[in-house]
Amino acid sequence: MSRASNRFDTKKVNSELVTLTYGALVAQMVKDAENTDDVSKQLERLGYNMGVRLIEDFLAKTGTGRCMDLKDTADKIQSAFKMYLGVQPNVANWSPGGDEFSFILDTNPLTDLVELPDDLKNLKYCNIICGVIRGALEMVQLDVQSWIVQDQLKGDQNTEIRVKFIRRLEDAMPAGED
Amino acid sequence: MCDQSVFEIFHSELVNYVIQNNETQLKNTSKTHGEDLSNLEYIGFSTGFRIIERLTRELPRFRDELDTMKFICTDFWSAIYMKQIDNLRTNHQGIYVLQDNCFRYLSKLSNTKQYLDLSPRYVTFTCGLLRGSLANLGIRSIVTAEVQTMPSCKFHIQVQRN
Amino acid sequence: MTVHNIYIFNKNGNLLYYHEWNRLKQTGMTREEEAKLMYGMLFSIKSFVNKISPVDPKDGFLYYKTSKYTLHYFETLTGLKFVLNTDINAQGVRELLQEIYNQVYVEYVVKNPLLNLSEPIESEIFKAKLDALVKQSPVFLSRVP
Repeated sequence: MSRASNRFDTKKVNSELVTLTYGALVAQMVKDAENTDDVSKQLERLGYNMGVRLIEDFLAKTGTGRCMDLKDTADKIQSAFKMYLGVQPNVANWSPGGDEFSFILDTNPLTDLVELPDDLKNLKYCNIICGVIRGALEMVQLDVQSWIVQDQLKGDQNTEIRVKFIRRLEDAMPAGED
Repeated sequence: MCDQSVFEIFHSELVNYVIQNNETQLKNTSKTHGEDLSNLEYIGFSTGFRIIERLTRELPRFRDELDTMKFICTDFWSAIYMKQIDNLRTNHQGIYVLQDNCFRYLSKLSNTKQYLDLSPRYVTFTCGLLRGSLANLGIRSIVTAEVQTMPSCKFHIQVQRN
Repeated sequence: MTVHNIYIFNKNGNLLYYHEWNRLKQTGMTREEEAKLMYGMLFSIKSFVNKISPVDPKDGFLYYKTSKYTLHYFETLTGLKFVLNTDINAQGVRELLQEIYNQVYVEYVVKNPLLNLSEPIESEIFKAKLDALVKQSPVFLSRVP
């Protein structure tokens, strides 16, 4: 067992591992759940649980400082996409008030090799990403909503993930102080 | 840079999902037996079945069963777990024992007896992954895992001959 | 040099972990009361430091020092609070706290799915890794002054 070889591009293998395992999980969820909406919700929740942990990994690895504004936050999430998913989405479609924006993905490793059958056309397959964003930002005191606007699995040109800023969360006061 | 942490954290949530789903199912049927991880094993199986296809597409055929196992222990394991299997044993009659002294999904949990009873949750996906990969390479098997002290783990592969 | 003790709080002020190495004097309070007092002080001093600052406070509160010990404070963007008490000559404690977060907390708490992030940390491997990291640091030299 001396061969210290690495015959494979581990980066690529890992990305495929995520894609395939995710696909197998979604298939299992579809079997378990009563309806497609429940699956979409569960995927979002699973993403949320990942987000609250992944943010710590991201902060530890990148040494990122506090964001100046939402634009800064969007840029940081963009780099997190690159780091964790291996793709760099565009940040676009800012709302006039500057409190809403989108990530546009030309390619999405999660949906590589995936095709949705007709009875699952309502499934929000990539909802896990929305959940990760919501969970991660909540941990840095940003309450946001995130949802899928366009979906390549439904024949759209790109995958578009929308993020809307709701409010800043405050640090908890110690008990007994006001 | 593509990061291992994503899969590590995703794997944890995968385990949580299967366990929570079991709990709701059990509540509905009011059964009370041990933890059923077969869905987790199956998710591993289908992942392994498909990923090995992509990994071996451009490789020459394996000479024999042992050659296949060696591939699993080295290239396959390091592509997925960032290290090789530390020890491979076989009785040359279809039983293989793959020992990983620091198995990735156990390495953060414990290096003592603490949480030992929960270790099956974190090795079952990989049992399925092995079984699925081997199945696609034409080897039918039963794969089980044995954990005595985390983070070390032995995967027992029993090849089914007929 | 020496390290006296460590407190880790979550963003809501719950004590997640406490450990002491060379602590020479106890407060006489329960650990719970002591933690509450500590968190209250941190909360106040943080807001005071930021409020009163004549310039952009940037990192805010970092440490305070008496003639006998220094309390070092490190807060992550996620609101985790690490407090390390050392002797007054200790150098590089901020780096040590950063390492505790990066190499021990993130690896052995965040990546241990059996731990709930808002509950006290009961993992033995976390305790062992933290102890090892602190003891191998130059800040730690168990000779008590």
